[in-house]
Amino acid sequence: MSGAAQVTKRAKYKISVKDPGTPGALRMNDQKLMFMPDNRNSGAKLVVEFKSIQGHKYTKEGSNKPPLINLANAQGGSYIFEFDSYADLHVCRDFVSKVLEKSKETPNAALEKSAVKLPDEQLSEEEMQLRIKLLQENSELQKLHRQFVGGNILTEAEFWAARKKLLDIDPSKKSKQRVGFKSAMISDIRPATDGRTNKVTFSLTPEIILQIFAEKPAVHRAFLNFVPNKMTEMEFWTKYCRAEYLSRTKNYHAVVAEAAEDEELAVFLKEDDILANEVRKKIRRVDPTLDMEADEGDDYTHLPDHGIFRDGTKESNELQSEHYRRTLLQDLNRHAAVVLEGRTIDVEREDSTRALAEALARSKRGNEGADNNANEERLDRTPRVAEIEDLQAPHCLPLAPLSIKDAREYFDSQQANTLKASRDSQASMKCSLSRQEAYGSVRDAISEIKDMGLSDPIVNPEVALKVYSGLTHNISSIKYHLGKNPRETVLDRLPSATKEKLLYHWMSIQELLKHFWSSYPITTPYLYSKVNRLKDALSNIYPQLEEMKESLPADLRHQVSLLVRPMQQALDAAIQHYDADLQKRSAKSGEKPNGYI
Amino acid sequence: MIFKLEDVTVYFPYDNIYPEQYSYMLELKRALDAKGHCLLEMPTGTGKTIALLSLITSYVLSKPENPVKLIYCTRTVHEMEKTLAELKLLHNYQTRHLGPAAKILAIGLSSRKNLCVNSRVLAAENRDSVDAACRKRTASWVRALAAENPNIETCEFFENYEKAASAAVLPPGVYTLQDLRAFGKQQGWCPYFLARHMVQFANVVVYSYQYLLDPKVAGIISKEMQKESVVVFDEAHNIDNVCIEALSVSVRRQTLEGATRNLSRINQEIERFKATDAGRLRAEYNRLVEGLALRGNLPNAWLSNPALPSDILKEAVPGNIRRAEHFLHVLRRLVQYLRGRLETENVEKEGPVSFVASITAHAGIDQKTLRFCYERLHSLMLTLEITDTDEFLHIQTICDFATLVGTYTRGFSIIIEPFDERMPHIPDPVLQLSCHDASLAVKPVFDRFQSVVITSGTLSPIDLYPRLLNFHPVVSRSFKMSLTRDCICPMVLTRGSDQLPVSTKFDMRSDPGVARNYGKLLVEMVSIVPDGIVCFFVSYSYMDEIIATWNDSGILKEIMQHKLVFIETQDVVETTLALDNYRKACDCGRGAVFFSVARGKVAEGIDFDRHYGRLVIMFGVPFQYTLSKILLARLEYLRDTFQIKEGDFLTFDALRQAAQCVGRVIRSKADYGMMIFADKRYSRHDKRSKLPGWILSHLRDAHLNLSTDMALHIAREFLRKMAQPYDKAGSIGRKTLLSQADLEKMTNDGSINEMLY
Repeated sequence: MSGAAQVTKRAKYKISVKDPGTPGALRMNDQKLMFMPDNRNSGAKLVVEFKSIQGHKYTKEGSNKPPLINLANAQGGSYIFEFDSYADLHVCRDFVSKVLEKSKETPNAALEKSAVKLPDEQLSEEEMQLRIKLLQENSELQKLHRQFVGGNILTEAEFWAARKKLLDIDPSKKSKQRVGFKSAMISDIRPATDGRTNKVTFSLTPEIILQIFAEKPAVHRAFLNFVPNKMTEMEFWTKYCRAEYLSRTKNYHAVVAEAAEDEELAVFLKEDDILANEVRKKIRRVDPTLDMEADEGDDYTHLPDHGIFRDGTKESNELQSEHYRRTLLQDLNRHAAVVLEGRTIDVEREDSTRALAEALARSKRGNEGADNNANEERLDRTPRVAEIEDLQAPHCLPLAPLSIKDAREYFDSQQANTLKASRDSQASMKCSLSRQEAYGSVRDAISEIKDMGLSDPIVNPEVALKVYSGLTHNISSIKYHLGKNPRETVLDRLPSATKEKLLYHWMSIQELLKHFWSSYPITTPYLYSKVNRLKDALSNIYPQLEEMKESLPADLRHQVSLLVRPMQQALDAAIQHYDADLQKRSAKSGEKPNGYI
Repeated sequence: MIFKLEDVTVYFPYDNIYPEQYSYMLELKRALDAKGHCLLEMPTGTGKTIALLSLITSYVLSKPENPVKLIYCTRTVHEMEKTLAELKLLHNYQTRHLGPAAKILAIGLSSRKNLCVNSRVLAAENRDSVDAACRKRTASWVRALAAENPNIETCEFFENYEKAASAAVLPPGVYTLQDLRAFGKQQGWCPYFLARHMVQFANVVVYSYQYLLDPKVAGIISKEMQKESVVVFDEAHNIDNVCIEALSVSVRRQTLEGATRNLSRINQEIERFKATDAGRLRAEYNRLVEGLALRGNLPNAWLSNPALPSDILKEAVPGNIRRAEHFLHVLRRLVQYLRGRLETENVEKEGPVSFVASITAHAGIDQKTLRFCYERLHSLMLTLEITDTDEFLHIQTICDFATLVGTYTRGFSIIIEPFDERMPHIPDPVLQLSCHDASLAVKPVFDRFQSVVITSGTLSPIDLYPRLLNFHPVVSRSFKMSLTRDCICPMVLTRGSDQLPVSTKFDMRSDPGVARNYGKLLVEMVSIVPDGIVCFFVSYSYMDEIIATWNDSGILKEIMQHKLVFIETQDVVETTLALDNYRKACDCGRGAVFFSVARGKVAEGIDFDRHYGRLVIMFGVPFQYTLSKILLARLEYLRDTFQIKEGDFLTFDALRQAAQCVGRVIRSKADYGMMIFADKRYSRHDKRSKLPGWILSHLRDAHLNLSTDMALHIAREFLRKMAQPYDKAGSIGRKTLLSQADLEKMTNDGSINEMLY
């Protein structure tokens, strides 16, 4: 675990947040941190053992504060470092938190060692770290862990197996959901004028640049071609913004004139030829039931000068200098299409624009193959669309797929269950109904009910009411007796120590029962020994509960015993089941004594 | 389900049927029995197409002694594909129940552009260049040359098709355009020529209106159709406009310049032929002397082609244009004359009679000569072996114009405008021959075929159509929609959130307050309506303007926070992709808004059913541009000939467009959608009452004069109500979905008639 040797970063040491700080180098290893100022003579040199550090704070990225980390020492003082960038801060923060965790772990060290020793589990370091982190964050979990794993009632693996979920949702490991493009148009970044001079300022962020690349492949290509051989990135974007500004003015003559002079500028103003190609490709794969382009090829009134030319329904369009004309409507369509396509790469990595452009080009090439399949699937759908939905019963039954994490495990255990069931009841029914038949019979039954109507209700309403009020009586009476305030529960009236204890018992019983019941049916000797261990632990809780009850003053005892009763019942049920199972087993083994087979 | 409809056993591919569909079939069957025409209005979303297809195919199956051919006309190619997809479903069902006896051949027919599989031909840009590229490879003289010279390129698909000769047939089945292409590719036969050939054997042909209505095309494609055919015009609410478009031609400066170039090119060709192969020209002359009627390729069957009245076939081509060079002179004079007429300062309007008289006086071309121009040009181009026909469109336009103006004496007017009224500073003279009488183009169809079915979701008022198209239907009915629950919710919004009236009336149109109120309405709606929303504007220019305003004021940004925005533009390709993306966005749950234009391409045939459209907003009343000279001339003609008042016609036309736009949200009774008519003029009775009955019957009085906040409240309530489960079959008293058992029971106890009327 001490693999991470050491980290060195440039940083400024500050005594307080306002302090301008001393520039220097911050070096950390798993024992201590050292700060060496650039100016050797400065007194800011620092060596601190991690043992003395209590905690750390840091500024969040995105806030407009500088990247700061604040390490608090045991004496109440703190060391503040400012880094050059957030990336540096993140590296150091991770390092510090790791080291701090480790130095705190010492009391828990025994536990982890036992965990590592387990033969059936090979844990990577990260998994181990994660578990430790979880234990630290959650004191209840830690308590349970110490009690059961430490007390050898459960193994480490068993304990965590019941908490797979906790292990999974670790955000750092899980791939994050990709954020799509913003719905707002990029043309919304309006040029800002300062009002005094004629200068116009555009501001571009990596986010915007990616969107520009995605929406205007020609710009993307131009960037790959021109930068950095022909011009710098700055020049490139200046040119781009100039072109944007020009087309915004809607002075097409100026656009044409400018484009004629400067061929690189013309690239931005011209119609996007890559886009045009893409469009040609896409139009061939469009759903034939909305392909209006096919119409164009069919309709004989589309001959020039045929049909009614100027009747006010068709509008004359002056399409001079068509090359340099990009309308808002086209932009809107293109934008929406790109947003719909979704983002193919992440920009969060702080790459250069160049890297960004290249990544986009790669992902585009990758996508081309995948497109074809998706399209075929769409074509299959067309005939189905032609049907009228409510005239026909649905073709395939709407079955919700089972959400099973580990399918094999699930089915294995199911098989074991059915085997057992068939052993228990020898006269098992042969079920040879196919799914269709089963569905059919259910449907028949339903339609029969629909036709005939239910001759009499399944439940007599009076009886139902009686049962209902009987069941709810308890609830209402408790509410009535226990305070006017419904939020005030029984627990709140108990002394806090008792309450804690009660909750703690409840939690541990739950934990044990969870493991207990999940080990049935007992198919392996391992499970058998586990059940035995659990049963012992469960029976240990009995006297504890009794003891707690007795220690209470009389007026509370009744309330507590009410609360304890369901726990005891649950325990009873478990133990009863255990005994029954044991008896069955011994009966079987009685018939076939050991060693007989 | 299979059921008896009088003496016909109907095979219907679903387990249940709507009562409307049943009665629709019954009316249709009676029309077929009577061998007459019929006019049926049935709301969208009640499965019109499938009811129609299944009745007619079942009718043929039940009466094999007189095989009726079905000619199904759609407005657009994508509707054609949709229809064929439904037919495929039906056909599968029928063959499953009847075996091979039910097998039919059904094909869709389109242009070369949509059917060609030769990649080199397809590389051409538009339809005309594809046609030309095809002719360049398949014309008989080209192939004759290629037989000697291997360097001349031919089309292998066409060659294979020719080689297969009579063996080249399509096996029975239903073929969409895509299926045809796939079949052609697999067999190595040209799908276009195969389909054209198979048209005469097919039981069902699905193609576009123009193939029957446009005389230029109809003469080539539809000549073999026998009289015992049922012709269906689906989505026929605009049929009058299609008819008049088919017979209208306009001539501009570019046309005349192009025509002049074409003429000199033709002249060169003639000179070349004179030098090398004078015999050909002489042979043509002789043929023309004998008269067109004796020419093999001119059909006798298509006698009443409007562009070729019956007498033209009996007559010989007039002597003065039989010789190629003489004909060329005539055309030159005509072009010269037209050029002179274009140089005008004022708007001129004339009838065809006086125009022809003026041509005769100034250019020395008489009416009969004019009338033969179209045929004569085609004969000449064939003789001269011209394959790049797309280069000769201009002179073809001139000849079309000449033939039309020489043929008709009424129902047309010639209007010359020196500039577009909306842009008076740009001189752009245009001479338009515009047809006012829709019945002219459709008359041969009514005359020729025994049953013509005109059907749509919006044919209100239904008595107007027989007058406009000049025919006498034996059945004319408008069906109501019996809804299981109130799944459509029309509303009239007259005021914005600030309680000021909203309208696209000319004087209010540019009011920023109206644009803002419209924007606010949409912003509110996008935040509460799930999935897709469609907005229709009255025109492209208005849409441009209002979107620019919304963009500047940040309203667009607010809309985008909730849904993606897609827009119909004048570029069809872009619009198609935008629509495709819109659907994707609705499919994946992202939700989107589609901005479209009434009378645009999208409004014409794209469905916004189910989650593709939960709300349609019609911004304004889509009136035509009333100052248009052509429209005025047409209105005048309608008033004089059919006694239809101008205002009535304009309102009728605007409201059918509006109804068409909003009607696209419903596909079935299980579907639901809202419709907002956002203009104060909709609250007036004279406007509103022109809406089709199935919308009016759901338009409650309380929803007639709403402001944005009230509409929002109603929309919320409606959406909540629609989310509840319900019984699809309807309550006992009023069944809205019939199973086979229901139908049988009702037929036996006679209650079926009760349901129908």
